[in-house]
Amino acid sequence: MSNRRSFLTGAGVSMLGATLVSRAGAAGLPEAPVQSSSATAPPLAPPNGRPYNPVVTLNGWSLPWRMKDGVKEFHLVAEPVVRELAPGMKANLWGYNGQSPGPTIEVVEGDRVRIFVTNKLPEHTSIHWHGQILPSGMDGVTGLNQPGIAPGKTFVYEFVARHAGTFMYHPHADEMNQMAMGMMGFWVTHPKDPRKHAVDRDYVLLLSSYDIEPGSYTPRTNTMLDFNLWTFNSRVFPGIDPMVARLNEKVRIRVGNLTMTNHPIHIHGHRFEVAGTDGGWVPPSARWPEVTTDVAVGQMRAIEFVADNPGDWAFHCHKSHHTMNAMGHEVPNLIGVDHRGVAQKINKLVPGYMVMGDKGGSMGDMEMELPANTLPMMTGRGPFGNLEMGGMFTVFKVRADQKRGDYRDPGWYRNPPGTVASEWTGELPAPHSAPDAAPGKAPKGEAMNARKPGSHRH
Amino acid sequence: MAAPRLCAAMAAAFALAGCASITPDRGLEAASQLAHERTGVDARLLRGEDELRALDAHIDALLREPLGMDAAVRIALLRHPGLQATYWELGIAQSDLVQASRLPNPSLGFSRLHNAHYTEIERSLSFDLAGLLTLPLRQRMEARRYEQAKLTAAAAMERHALETRRAWVEAVAARQAVAYARQVAEAHEAAAELTGRMAQAGNASQLDLARERAAYAEAGADVLRAQRAADGARETLTRQLGLWGKQAGYTLPERLPDLPAAPAEPEQIERLALERRFDVRAAREQAAATAADLGLTRSTRFVNVLELGVANKSETGEPRAKGYEVGLELPLFDWGGARVAKAEAVYMQALNRVAETAITARSEAREHYLGYRASYDIAQRYRDEIIPQRKKIADETLLRYNGMLASTFELLADAREQVGAVNGYLDALKDFWLAHAALEGALGGRVGHAPAHTNKEHQQ
Repeated sequence: MSNRRSFLTGAGVSMLGATLVSRAGAAGLPEAPVQSSSATAPPLAPPNGRPYNPVVTLNGWSLPWRMKDGVKEFHLVAEPVVRELAPGMKANLWGYNGQSPGPTIEVVEGDRVRIFVTNKLPEHTSIHWHGQILPSGMDGVTGLNQPGIAPGKTFVYEFVARHAGTFMYHPHADEMNQMAMGMMGFWVTHPKDPRKHAVDRDYVLLLSSYDIEPGSYTPRTNTMLDFNLWTFNSRVFPGIDPMVARLNEKVRIRVGNLTMTNHPIHIHGHRFEVAGTDGGWVPPSARWPEVTTDVAVGQMRAIEFVADNPGDWAFHCHKSHHTMNAMGHEVPNLIGVDHRGVAQKINKLVPGYMVMGDKGGSMGDMEMELPANTLPMMTGRGPFGNLEMGGMFTVFKVRADQKRGDYRDPGWYRNPPGTVASEWTGELPAPHSAPDAAPGKAPKGEAMNARKPGSHRH
Repeated sequence: MAAPRLCAAMAAAFALAGCASITPDRGLEAASQLAHERTGVDARLLRGEDELRALDAHIDALLREPLGMDAAVRIALLRHPGLQATYWELGIAQSDLVQASRLPNPSLGFSRLHNAHYTEIERSLSFDLAGLLTLPLRQRMEARRYEQAKLTAAAAMERHALETRRAWVEAVAARQAVAYARQVAEAHEAAAELTGRMAQAGNASQLDLARERAAYAEAGADVLRAQRAADGARETLTRQLGLWGKQAGYTLPERLPDLPAAPAEPEQIERLALERRFDVRAAREQAAATAADLGLTRSTRFVNVLELGVANKSETGEPRAKGYEVGLELPLFDWGGARVAKAEAVYMQALNRVAETAITARSEAREHYLGYRASYDIAQRYRDEIIPQRKKIADETLLRYNGMLASTFELLADAREQVGAVNGYLDALKDFWLAHAALEGALGGRVGHAPAHTNKEHQQ
């Protein structure tokens, strides 16, 4: 879990600006804890300061702080990290304090916050505090609000967390590369009154996407849209932990989108309301009931609902390619293509060739050898077989016997008798199918006949 | 008085003449031995139907197996009619030598004069004394010419062996190229067929289908082209072997011999070339022969005709008179200077030819050795790097296909590229064996490893 690193370097301290040294330099910097595991850390109960209900960062953790003269001091270290995207696949990313995304920062409305940012990247960086209302010089856009933090230097940001809500942080220096390399983190400002907006479980996750060529480790940061890995907190299914709740607990899930496309986030078995955006909390009268909410690029959404339906429920982005892992986008469709004879011919030329895709993409339980450091396009074992999922997918588990505050995976849901879909064993009527939909045959007679221009004899 | 001495001289001449005679092999065996270490074959003169039949039986036995490089050389040296003609040339040289060893025939003179009163009869028997005296010199000269002819014949055999090896390498490589062109065509065929099925199922357009079919048709043309080249290469080899009819239906191995584990590294290649090459040796013999010519010309520059004979004269009414006569050409007008100058010029010419041959031999030795090493390095690069990396690419592409990251078409395209790389290796291997043969020619002998007949499967 977290281990502590005293990484005070002379250079880091000496580079503090003169005005800052007078306030923070004398006592030195707070320690920068490091997280080496990509497991979900239990919520971090506040040891000091104002009380709040901590969140749980899915496959992540929250950053401990130091109270100094009534100011919450955090220390973020921007650095290259190796993030396990799922068992069997690691990525060379950039992140904070050992992980990508960086640790979640939790503060309380009205807190004065001082954040030290040390740059251990090979290029300059900065941090923009997305959604915070703060002094212009603390907004973190290099060139506009501040100079870049040069490699080896430490900068300090200080402001008051004025509004409760759901936020994030990310670089605003070479951001195309730095965000594509995984630099981002969650920020939650809790309300002063912990009873306000109180829920039993509060999950947070950031959406990010990567283009990592199968067999390689480092994302291609120039990719704009054709990503092959769609992640919750830089994890892909089956590497994403389940979210769990005790029956009838109030649950909040906060989602931030730092990919380059929108994500319709969808939950099964429940209806929710969008309770918050990065602009703040939505008045109860304005909340819409939903089962899917679209989280646009650069947006945050907090959804709330009562987990009143026991079972194992899918939670995912509704873009079907986003619940897949790396796949070939140029692979032609072979559904319904008769391979008799051709397959043997190809097998002669390509030993080890097996026909795939002629009946669709579902490979059942076929286990094929893959290139190094990649994941099957769709995978995951469930109680009834292969889940055939990847990417932005996990399971929301509601149990009557889940203890309060227990985030452990309770295993697969035991369906009460008679509540699982099953094969019909009664009498069957003669099957009907569409006349032209026989597989292996192109539809006939429906071809469009284009008329040549120039002829006006209609 | 003079008769006993004359008899002694004639006896000595006969004794000398006895050394040289026509041998049944017409001197081929000696030449064949010279060539043997380079060709591994004992050449034979073919005389008569029986020998021809025996040889054909031997060749038929060789042709029962796919024809290897050494067997090809063997057949070519035994059977090729052009080479047989060269062998008979050796017989001509041997005959010349024997001729040179024979004593000049004596000349018999007889004259009868008579009138009403008397009759005069003169009888004489004379020998070309100059010829007799210079006989050993001339004989040595012809012996040298004969040696030279042997070298020439051996060189012809060696050259023919070299050409046969080249033709064999070309023919086998061309055959292999056909096999690989077929594989490329098969990959295109599979792609075209799959696209056809896709078009039938509605998953591919007519444009895609036409493209795949065009590529397949072009690959088919490439097969025909490769076949044509292979037919040509095979006929070249057939000519080189001197075969026709049923025997021309021989089969060739499917593959060239593998690249040897390490290249041959003969030391002092220039010295080897000068020592062993037949053309260098022949040029030397030529120079020595012209030197002997020069010696003969010098010793006979003044006296070209010296005849000694017994004379006998009967005259009517007179007692028979006996005596001897000497005929001598008087060098009044021709002091033989021109002849000597010509012989000297010929000698100098021969000396310079030796120098030229030696320089060429050294240079060729260097050139072919460097060419041989370069060819080895290229083929080795293919064998140890390009082919394994291509194999790796194929494996990785298949893994990507497994992960639905690549399509069947990419697998097929990669299979074609692999075939291209194997073809590149074959070309490199062919170049290597050609360079190997050329180096053997340049060094006048076998170099290192002989090509093994068994070889591993070429990685496809």
